Amino acid sequence: MHEQMSFINGWIQDNNELADKCRVRMLNIWYGQRKPLTRIPPLVDHAEVELTVVYNACLCSFANSRFSEAELVLKQAAERVLQMTGADPEASELWKSVLESARSTALTPSVQCVVGLQWAVWLANCQLETIQEYQLFSLSEGFSAGDGNEQNCGKDPAVPLPVMDPRHLFELLLICTLIAQAAEMLSEAQSSKALAVLQRASSLPAPRTLVAHTHILSGACFSSMNCPQMALNCYKEALETDPRCVCALYQSILVYRELDNTQAEIQALRLLHSMMSSNAESRPAATPFLSPTSLLPSRSLNRLLSVPPALSVLHCLAQKSVLHGRVLEGVEYFLDLLASLHSDDQHGVHAELSPLPRLPELYLEAGAALLMAQRPADCMALCDEVIGLTLELLPEKLVLEEEEERGEAGAVNPNEERMRMILWAGAAYLLQGHCHTHMRDWKQAVTHYTRCINLLVRVFFKHRDVVAKCGTSVCVLQRLKGLSLAGRGISFSQTERLKEALRDLQHSLHVLPDCVGAGLWCGEVLRRLGRKQDAAACWEKTRSSATPSSTESVSLYLLEPQSGPVWDSEELRHRIGSEQKGSEEDEQLPDVAKMC
Amino acid sequence: MALERCDVETWAEFGFIGTSCSPKLMVVSERDVFLCTGCDEIYVFSTRERKLMASKSHSLQSDGNCNVTPVLFFLCFSCRLSSSFLCADTSCPTELKISSKFLVVPEEGPLSLLLVGTELVIISLKAPHWALTRYRSQKQTVTNSFEMLTSFSLASSSDDNEERTVKRRPVLICVHYSNKTLSSACSCPPETVNDDHVCIDPLLFKLLFGIDAALTESPVVLCGLPDGCLYFLPLRLPGCRPRALYSLEEPVIFVGTSLDKSSPEHAQCLVTIGERGQVVLIRTGKGQQERGEGNNTACFLDRRLPGSLMCGCIVNNTLYYSIGSDLLKVDLRSGSLGKEDTSKKTEALHQSSTSLNVCRIIAVAELSCSTAGGEVHLLGLSAGGQLQRITTRRRTEDAGSSKGPTAQVGRSVRDLLSAIGDVCERASVLKSAIKSKSQVLKHLNHVINISFLLTASAKIEEHSDRKPIRCRAVTEWSRLLQRDSLNLTCVLDNSSPYALEQGWTLSICVSSLSYPPSEGGHCSSTNYSFPFQNVNPGETLEVSLPLADAGEAFFPFMVSCSLNFSLSSLLGAEEANCPGLQNSCINLPLNTLWVDWLHSLRLNGPEDALKKDTAQRNNAAADSIQAFINSHQFRRRGADEGRGGALRPERYSASVQVSSELLKNTKGSKSSDLEGHAQSRCVSFLEWLLSEGCGGVRRGHTGDQISGPVLHARGPNGHAVKLTAKEVNADPLLLQMESSFMAAVCGLHHAVLRRLQVRAHQNSSVLFCSALTSFLLLSPQHLLQQIQHHRVSGAFSAGASGTQNPQCIHSVYRDLRENPLIIL
Repeated sequence: MHEQMSFINGWIQDNNELADKCRVRMLNIWYGQRKPLTRIPPLVDHAEVELTVVYNACLCSFANSRFSEAELVLKQAAERVLQMTGADPEASELWKSVLESARSTALTPSVQCVVGLQWAVWLANCQLETIQEYQLFSLSEGFSAGDGNEQNCGKDPAVPLPVMDPRHLFELLLICTLIAQAAEMLSEAQSSKALAVLQRASSLPAPRTLVAHTHILSGACFSSMNCPQMALNCYKEALETDPRCVCALYQSILVYRELDNTQAEIQALRLLHSMMSSNAESRPAATPFLSPTSLLPSRSLNRLLSVPPALSVLHCLAQKSVLHGRVLEGVEYFLDLLASLHSDDQHGVHAELSPLPRLPELYLEAGAALLMAQRPADCMALCDEVIGLTLELLPEKLVLEEEEERGEAGAVNPNEERMRMILWAGAAYLLQGHCHTHMRDWKQAVTHYTRCINLLVRVFFKHRDVVAKCGTSVCVLQRLKGLSLAGRGISFSQTERLKEALRDLQHSLHVLPDCVGAGLWCGEVLRRLGRKQDAAACWEKTRSSATPSSTESVSLYLLEPQSGPVWDSEELRHRIGSEQKGSEEDEQLPDVAKMC
Repeated sequence: MALERCDVETWAEFGFIGTSCSPKLMVVSERDVFLCTGCDEIYVFSTRERKLMASKSHSLQSDGNCNVTPVLFFLCFSCRLSSSFLCADTSCPTELKISSKFLVVPEEGPLSLLLVGTELVIISLKAPHWALTRYRSQKQTVTNSFEMLTSFSLASSSDDNEERTVKRRPVLICVHYSNKTLSSACSCPPETVNDDHVCIDPLLFKLLFGIDAALTESPVVLCGLPDGCLYFLPLRLPGCRPRALYSLEEPVIFVGTSLDKSSPEHAQCLVTIGERGQVVLIRTGKGQQERGEGNNTACFLDRRLPGSLMCGCIVNNTLYYSIGSDLLKVDLRSGSLGKEDTSKKTEALHQSSTSLNVCRIIAVAELSCSTAGGEVHLLGLSAGGQLQRITTRRRTEDAGSSKGPTAQVGRSVRDLLSAIGDVCERASVLKSAIKSKSQVLKHLNHVINISFLLTASAKIEEHSDRKPIRCRAVTEWSRLLQRDSLNLTCVLDNSSPYALEQGWTLSICVSSLSYPPSEGGHCSSTNYSFPFQNVNPGETLEVSLPLADAGEAFFPFMVSCSLNFSLSSLLGAEEANCPGLQNSCINLPLNTLWVDWLHSLRLNGPEDALKKDTAQRNNAAADSIQAFINSHQFRRRGADEGRGGALRPERYSASVQVSSELLKNTKGSKSSDLEGHAQSRCVSFLEWLLSEGCGGVRRGHTGDQISGPVLHARGPNGHAVKLTAKEVNADPLLLQMESSFMAAVCGLHHAVLRRLQVRAHQNSSVLFCSALTSFLLLSPQHLLQQIQHHRVSGAFSAGASGTQNPQCIHSVYRDLRENPLIIL
């Protein structure tokens, strides 16, 4: 008897010392040796010590996210409680009988703590039905309401200290359970039900991050119910609650994108980028023992709370800026992106596959942006780099089979890679041609466009009638072909080699019928060759087919250069009319060549 | 196979190196050599001073909360950082004291590490996967702490799930992209450009690692695993995972590059070597035009070296490899160019190998290579723990012919001597192995002999002294920390002709035959085992163990002794770890001892009984209070029942009658002196009872003197017990046991009966003995009536007077026992 008492007192002392300092590592080691405690007969007198030790040990396991180990310990503890209270330990509903047997005895608080830990295990294993079945919410309410005596027992050396206040545990469990439930409902498209749950959750006392999570979830509910403004409001609230909550910002970006509010989207992207680059440093952990992330492993929730890596945010920002009239800004972002790719310390090297395009494409996009920003020299340097890299790897001849099925992710088809290589080098030559066009160095432009075309004709198709589906490499190839032929045609026409120009432009229109520049120039060349009717017909055709193509679907470097003549439809109609009337007013028309 | 001479110079002796996996030699800037053996030892050797500068064995100066298992990476890392500090210190080898503040990453079981700029790449085995983890140093903090970036798990391709221990470290090197010259391209500080960091041809780099890695000029970590997989991981690409480059299907022992003379600035060829002799040369080659392949493709040339390889390294374009019995070199240029088929190539590589005639090399590294003289200095570690410098000459024949014959002879003598030394070393290792095996056999023979002896003597009856190895015991009361406890001293008597050597364990199992109901009806037993070193024939081994505490004892105890021999102790420490061997042991039961109430009695001297009693009571206040309460209870209960002697505490008694015939025979010579005196007959009977080594156990209180026929004693629970021997009708002896404690009377009764029974049984050949258990019953009917009456009243008043029932039962028991048992 005496030995047992001294043993237990020793345990209490050790436990309290460690719990005071909250040294997770030491606690871990110490609780690992807690075996001797089970040698004590299961008596109600020692229950508090024993259960507190179990409580602390399990929290330590949680801190290392070893939930299965904790579950085992909890099961043993439950069986011991049943032995103590004399209930039948073989009951199938273990925890139910534990709660039942310890009801309104001195044991109740400690037993409830242990049941709370089991709750955490269930939560971490996504067993929400079990939690509901046991009606554990009532447990937490009982705990948070009337326990004022937690503080005064802290100093008593005879009472074992818990490493984490049980009240905090139950608060955390309650809100995490509600969040998990709401996320589950949301994924099952029960948005209104989820909203009700979230309403309840947002009123609970909880850490800021979790409150922010409830707001984000509410926002997601609203956006799935087609109330984008309400959703935006919720995301705003989330940001106000937790200023570091980047996913709220990201979700609002998605809403803006849906609303087609490009300026707001760019604004938000910029904010998101600055936030991500500023708080890339580690955040302080809220509680050392039980982190909300380990309690919320639900995949649907994580999908909602995840944010793309900083680099792809930057890429998106750069692209949007360039496409929507902020070219200078966009160029800066592109340069930032390239610089950070070259730097050693990239913040956040994510293990998951990032949605960034391949690096040569990034280079080409940056080059195109530079060209748009009137910096052809820089653009050419970037293109040189891509060409230098790919030059030795370019195949002499590439025969493409049927449209090859995409292999599994990760498996690189060598033919596909070779195709890509050709496309990258071709695009680089095309951009260089554009640069020379921009600098009015027509001869050089012709050289580069020719290089591009020579490269592209290395690709053969086994079957002639390959349908170029949008987004595939064949489509890119056709586009490159059309653009480079158009570019060379325009350059030829500038050097008054009209026959070659006409041939190239007509080829270009054949390959890429909606190429506006080629259509216009084809008409111009025809006009200069004196074929006025043909010119008018060509312009007419161009005007009718000139639908504003969706700029988002093609990469920046595959866009038509803006260096050619830009005629609005009014002027075009005027020209068509005048050509049809006759050739006498020929001299009054502005020369297209001067406009470029 | 060609032969070539080389100079071997032993620089240092490390003695035996207990390596759990392959040792690693690391040459840092031609000045320091790090030697990692196993996982937890590292030596620093200065090539300039030619001596061991420091050693570090695994002893973290832990501040109590740091029990990190071997942290090789941390040691290497800190050593690399502090190498300059070490070189300044020219005193004798110092043991580095490395405190836990140097700990960079608290990861367990790292196998290999590589530092690339600010990043640290670590490979560890997290069965069944390999884990490749990237860390980055935090520049802003002063401490060495690293922050984890990502961790990848690489599937292990070997199906051997049993192969948990790693015999080979994974090989890690870093490949840099350079389209400039070597020195300027590798952006890392110059001291890290060594074996682990190589620059390869840009074209090969692009072909192997992709265009994206080349665009960012990202360093690429190449990782060769013991399961044969070669992975690569570009460090500077976002979202990049390790990808497999090739699979050798045998443990990778070396990954390196081979330089061509045509382009000395970067390597044209990546070389991977497997344990079973596979050499894979990775270089750029022309693709086949007709298949639409590009100009250049990476081609993987498979070559094979004969034998299994211990280690290897490449200096320029020459591969040096050790097959254990010899160190060989092969020129990679001559054997690998051209386009012949593979089978021919194997031969070519084999035939172009040149033997250097240095054996037992288990780790090799390039020390330096002087281009002018054509000399190559290698650093080798032999299996015997010698650090050797091996110097080869490129043009041996030319150099040899130009020198005089004396120099040649001298060198060949030196070579021979070194070869003899090696052979001698090997022979001594074999000899010691044979010696230890025969030792084990001898030991096993002893063990078998002893087991035969003991199994043969198992048929000899219990309690007999004829057993060659047996146990006896002595009980003794001791007082520690105000608690009395009964100790049992067991003596193992080895009267056999064999010595009990190391590996034997005396195991004693103490179990109580009666046990309290609170135990739940389970017999509690405790096992003690005492491993011992040597008990020679005629010697004894004495061990003592706590039997019971006063107040908690439940007699009688059965003490069964047995001898165990664990087979794993025969083998060395390594083989003993084999899981199947853990439980295999020989278990030989010895004899069984009994400890009963009589053994536990503590006598009160007749004259100072009172004094002692009071003294005891003062000492143990709790005992006296307990006694008082007990007596009080009995008194009250007596009164309630309305029996006679209401004022006296109830006393229980039992008695036994013993025929003097039996006593005469049992007591032997000692009793014969005193024959005739009734008084002394009683005294000697009591003496016999208390001193007799019944069941192989004796009482340890030799000082007790029995002066009269009435004996006052205290039982193990502190209750007073009175034993009275008196003569009835001249012949049979009546022994009466009295106590106020029921269990004491019962226990004593049982103990006395057992002794008499044993004695009588032993003498059965001499004397006819019958235990006449004749009760002079009062009237069976009366008793039956009484029991029934109590049962009925108990049923009616269940709960109200629950305590009364056993009392009644006892009174019936007493009535039954009142009429003494007579043993003739």
